[in-house]
Amino acid sequence: MPTSKEVTSQENLVVPKTARFSWLGLVMALPPVLVITCFVGIPILIAAGLSLGFTGGPNRVIALIGQEIHPKNHWWGTLDGYKSVFKDPRFFGDLKLTLSVTLVSTVVVIVMALGMAIYRRIRGGKLATVLVSLSLVPLFVPVVISAFAIKTFYDGTGFMKTLFSQFGIDFPTLTMTSSAIAIGTIWTSLPFAILMISSGLQSIPDALIESAQDAGASFFRIVHTIMIPLAFVPIIIATTFTAIGIMGSFTIPYFLGANQPAMLGVEIPNFFSSYNRPQQSVVMAFVIFGAASLVAIFYVWANLRSAKQSGRI
Amino acid sequence: MKFKFYKIAALVASVALIASGSMYQASAATQTIRLYISADTNIQDLWVKTLIPEFNKTNPDYKVDVTFDRNGANDAQTLAKILASKGTGRDSGIDLIDGGIVTTLGKAGLLYRSNTGSTPNLKDVPYALVKNGSGGIPYRASTVLLAYNSKNVKNPPKTLADVLAWAKANPGKFTYNAPAGGGSGRSFVQTVLDSALPKTDVKTLQTVASKEAQAGWSKGWEILRSLNKVTYGQNGTYPTNNAATLDLLAKGLVDLAPVWSDQIASAIKAGTMPKDIKYYGITTPALTGGPAYLGIPSASKNRDAARVLVNWVLTPAAQNLIVSGSLNGIPVIAPAKLDPTVAASISSLDIASLRAPYLAVNDFDMKAAWAIEVPGK
Repeated sequence: MPTSKEVTSQENLVVPKTARFSWLGLVMALPPVLVITCFVGIPILIAAGLSLGFTGGPNRVIALIGQEIHPKNHWWGTLDGYKSVFKDPRFFGDLKLTLSVTLVSTVVVIVMALGMAIYRRIRGGKLATVLVSLSLVPLFVPVVISAFAIKTFYDGTGFMKTLFSQFGIDFPTLTMTSSAIAIGTIWTSLPFAILMISSGLQSIPDALIESAQDAGASFFRIVHTIMIPLAFVPIIIATTFTAIGIMGSFTIPYFLGANQPAMLGVEIPNFFSSYNRPQQSVVMAFVIFGAASLVAIFYVWANLRSAKQSGRI
Repeated sequence: MKFKFYKIAALVASVALIASGSMYQASAATQTIRLYISADTNIQDLWVKTLIPEFNKTNPDYKVDVTFDRNGANDAQTLAKILASKGTGRDSGIDLIDGGIVTTLGKAGLLYRSNTGSTPNLKDVPYALVKNGSGGIPYRASTVLLAYNSKNVKNPPKTLADVLAWAKANPGKFTYNAPAGGGSGRSFVQTVLDSALPKTDVKTLQTVASKEAQAGWSKGWEILRSLNKVTYGQNGTYPTNNAATLDLLAKGLVDLAPVWSDQIASAIKAGTMPKDIKYYGITTPALTGGPAYLGIPSASKNRDAARVLVNWVLTPAAQNLIVSGSLNGIPVIAPAKLDPTVAASISSLDIASLRAPYLAVNDFDMKAAWAIEVPGK
C-alpha cells in the first residue's frame, strides 16, 4: 500500500505528492508570519479601531492628544470619523489628484516599459542591452535625491528654464504642479517596470516568434498575439506594483506637488502631525488602502489565471 | 552540545556583569541627566557642542546623556512613553525634554512644575512666559523676522499693511511657506489673521481653545487669498517649509519673505545666504515669536539633577552662549544682564515684547484651515 497519495498531472506522469506535516516547514514559515502579524496586522487592527472611534486601550494616548476625534457611540463604533473626512472640502480634490496621477503615470510607465522590452526582445543587440541597463540607473538613486534633483531641474532657476531663456522662451516653472508629480513618479517607477516586463519577454522562446514570422505575421500581430499574452503575468505584476507604489508615494509629491490639492500620501501625515487630526488621517489611510486593494485584486486574478493555465490548480 | 552550553553560560554571565557594572556606575557619585532633544540639528549642536561642555566645567558631578530625535519624528511615541510611565510609575528614561512636545505635556499636567524655590534663576524670566509654559521652563526664544534682498529693495516695508501693499506692487517677489510646513510662514499667517481680529480674540486664541474666536479668521483668509496672485509663482502655491523659503531667498527668486531669526542669522554667518540679504522686524502687528521650553516629566527619576541643569541654563553665562553661539538665539533674561557686547547684537529684540503664537489647539486648527481657505483659490 502506497504511503503517499498519487496524483496525475496533465502530462499523465505520476508524481508522488507528499502531504506529510513538517515541523521544519512550519518553523521556516513562522518568522515572516509572526513579523507580519505583530508589526503590520495588529497595528492595522488598532488603526481600524481608531477610525471607527475606539479610543480606549492602545488608542488612548493618541485620542488624548488628537483633535476632532469622534468617539464611538454604538457597540461597533461610529462612522462620524469617515463622515468628517468625506465632508472635508480637501478630501475629494486630494483623492482625485491621487487617482489621476496614479492612472496617468502607470499607463505611461507600462507603455514605455513595454516599448523598451519589445525593442530588446525583437531587435536585441548591444545597443538594446546598453539602453535597458541605463534605464535601470534610477533604481539605484534614493528617491529623496531624485526628488530634489527633479525639483532643481524644473524650478524657477532650473536647467530647463535657463536653457530656454537663452532663446528667449519662457519655459513654465513645473514644480508645484501635478505634472511635476507625474514626471517624478514616472522617473522613479520606470526601472522596475522595465526590469519586470523585459525579463518576462526575454523568456518567450525564439521558436514561437520565428515561426510566426515565417508564417508571415506582422510585427503588431506578434506583439499582440504572442508576446503580450505570454508575458501577461509579469506585465500585470509590473502594473499593480507601479500603481500601488505611486498611490502611496510621499517623497515625490511632497517635493514637487502644490500645497493643495495634495496627494493622499502627503495629506495623511499632514493630518496626522501638522493638523493633529489622527482619526481623519487613519480614515484616509483606509480609503487609499481600499483603492490599493482593488488594484491588488488584478494581481491575484492574473496569478490565478496563470496558475489555472499551467494546471497548478 | 556541552561546549555550546558553556558558550551560552559565558554569554549570560558576561551580559550580567556588564549590566551590573552599568548599574553600579549609575548609583555612583556622578548623577546622570537624560536629556531628550526633539528639534532640528542646530539645537542638538547648541546642547552637545556649547551648553553641556560649559555646564560640566562648573558642574563636573553631573553627566548629561543626550538622545536626539530629529525634528520630533518620534514625538507621538515619546508622549506615549511619558504618559505610560506616569500611569505605571515606571521610569520613562527621560529627565529633561527640549522640544515642541513640552507644551503639550505641560497642558496634559505631565510636567514637574518648577518655581523660584526649586529653580532660583526663574526670577529673571518674565512671569508671563513662565505662566504660559504650564510647567515648561522657557530657556531661549526665537522670533520671525522679515528678510529682504537689499540689492533690489531699498526701503523695506515697515508695517504689515506696507508689506501687503509691497507684495501687490511687486508681483512674484514675496512669499511665505505653508504654515503646516514651518513656523516662519505660520507666523506670517497668524499675524495677518490677528490684524483683522479684535485684541481680546487674539488674547483668547493665545490662551484657550476657542472655535468662537476662530470664526473671526474669515476676514484674514480673504486678505491671504488676495495674495495668491502676487506671491512667488503667482498661482496660489507656497514653499513647503522654512528651508524652501530660505532657498528662494538665497537664489534671488524672491526679495521679501518671513524667516526665523536664528535660521537667517546662522545662514548668513555660514555663508549659505548671500550677504545682500538683510533682516528686520515689522510692527503693527509684529510677526510672532516665542520661547522654547524645557520640561521635566513629573515621573522623572533624576528630577533634582535636571533642575540643576535648568537653573544653570538660565544664568547669564549660559544665556550669553545661547545668543553668541552658532544658534543666534534670543535670551529669556533681560539683555542688561548679559555681556554688553553680546547684548548689543540683539538690542532690537526683546523677549518680553514678542507676540505670542496661538495655543497649540488653535494653531493646529489654523494650519488645517489655511490649507482649505488659501492655496489655489
